[in-house]
Amino acid sequence: MNERLLLGRSIDTGSWVHKLDARSKITGMLLYVAIILLSTSWRSIGLVAVFSIVVMATTRIPLKYFIKAVKPLRYLMLFIFIVQALSVKEGEVLWSLGSFSLHAGGLRMGAFSVIRMLFLLTFTALLTFTTTPAKLNQGLEGVLAPLKKLRLSPDRITLMISIALRFIPTILDEAQIILKAQASRGADLKELPLKEKARMLVSLLVPVIASAFRRAQDLIYSMEARGFRMDAPRSRYHRLRWGAADTLFVAMFVVLGVAVVLL
Amino acid sequence: MAIQLQQVSYTYADRSMWKQTALHGINLEIAEGSLTGIAGATGSGKSTLLQLFNGILKPTEGTVQVLDVTITAGEKSPRLLPLRRRVGLVFQFPEQQMFEDTVEKDLCFGPLNFGVSLEEAKARARKSMTDMGLDLALLERNPFRLSGGQMRKAAIASVLAMDPDIVVLDEPTATLDPVSRAELIALLERLCREQGRTIIIVTHRMDELLPYADNWVLLKDGELAFQGSGGELAADPAILERCGLRVPQSLRYWQAAAERFGLSGEKPLLTAEGLAGRLAALLEERRTLNASGTEEMGNGHE
Repeated sequence: MNERLLLGRSIDTGSWVHKLDARSKITGMLLYVAIILLSTSWRSIGLVAVFSIVVMATTRIPLKYFIKAVKPLRYLMLFIFIVQALSVKEGEVLWSLGSFSLHAGGLRMGAFSVIRMLFLLTFTALLTFTTTPAKLNQGLEGVLAPLKKLRLSPDRITLMISIALRFIPTILDEAQIILKAQASRGADLKELPLKEKARMLVSLLVPVIASAFRRAQDLIYSMEARGFRMDAPRSRYHRLRWGAADTLFVAMFVVLGVAVVLL
Repeated sequence: MAIQLQQVSYTYADRSMWKQTALHGINLEIAEGSLTGIAGATGSGKSTLLQLFNGILKPTEGTVQVLDVTITAGEKSPRLLPLRRRVGLVFQFPEQQMFEDTVEKDLCFGPLNFGVSLEEAKARARKSMTDMGLDLALLERNPFRLSGGQMRKAAIASVLAMDPDIVVLDEPTATLDPVSRAELIALLERLCREQGRTIIIVTHRMDELLPYADNWVLLKDGELAFQGSGGELAADPAILERCGLRVPQSLRYWQAAAERFGLSGEKPLLTAEGLAGRLAALLEERRTLNASGTEEMGNGHE
């Protein structure tokens, strides 16, 4: 098991956010993304920050898991910071070398973008932390239901997503075993020089991809053997239930959005 | 001692919400040149234990000593490459780990990583193919075009080609046909008896290993439940049941025969041939004793 990977892994603390309908959480997250994009001033981002931290705290999930969720993207954030810092030419010049110059405005913009990114990532991680993949998927199906009017099948989309999500940990575990097997045969990624590492990746990718195909094939056969039909009406294990708390949850985001726009 | 474990525990995902202890306080000794079987119910920590033997997993507590390498929990481990050359580990479903475009290249992968010359590696590849009873013509094939059984054997051959002193196998006979299964066990026994290698096999089919194993290690819920000879197990099969295992048929047959004919003091015979031979000899004895030939014979089997 890879403890660093948190994708699609829920952490059950039984908080009020956990109990919400997945549809309201997805709607809330979509609104949140829009709100983040709309917050262009320090005051509005400050408001968003306070809001996010309060909601995250009430889930009772330890902060370190949110930090872990962001960690894989730290270099991307650094990159965004550097690009913003170098391209925005506003405010006083802090430092210059030839045609390059670093402006105070650039640093501000860089920091601003990174903070927005940070909250976007941590807060949306909340969705997967508080919702099991099965419920998430069902919620997604509910949110996508209007697509039926466009003759698109939300079942098809969510089935694809659920299978993909379901197999991420399986395939990672498998990759881990293959990595161990190759390490036993004297090719330990940790002990090899960089050039050899690239060659080792081939020894990892070939078996992993081969097994992913094998798995896909087996899955199709076993689903068909059990009479699976796309778009067939079927009963659900969990029923989606929209309660007052869900309305409140979505309303919170609407209020936050309005506040951000007005600020 | 080839392998010595002192108070070893192993916890997966330590320091996280998903932490899970797989092994608790294991003390274990495996003698050089012995053939050891490891059994235990599913989830008892067998596979975790094996991965401690060549440093793939490092103990979260305790000390693992393999040959002349010592790995202590919390300390920086020595370079593990030399250890891995000497301890060959065959994982479950080893055929899923092949990746080169020919069987030969896959077999040479291990030896080459351990600094063997290309010619030597190819010679070893051929030798281990022959050992595993595979046709040398398969060397040029793509591994993905072998049958399941052939792939499994080729994958085991790829570990044997590393010429390890200790060979550790995780359920090597699962998914093999009965003939190949018997052949593989016979080969592993030869490696042990003739070449003095230490062989450790995890198995769910105790029957096929009971006649050959010097030692048995039984695990239950991550703890060592038993370590001793097959004879001790034959004397008290209840140990197996306590570990959540079914008593193997060969042991049950032996017990039944021993009870009926009063053989409990003898070395248990755990193969069909051995037991049949012993029973035939017993009947022969009786026949000569009752030379008159009127005595009724007991049925030889239960």
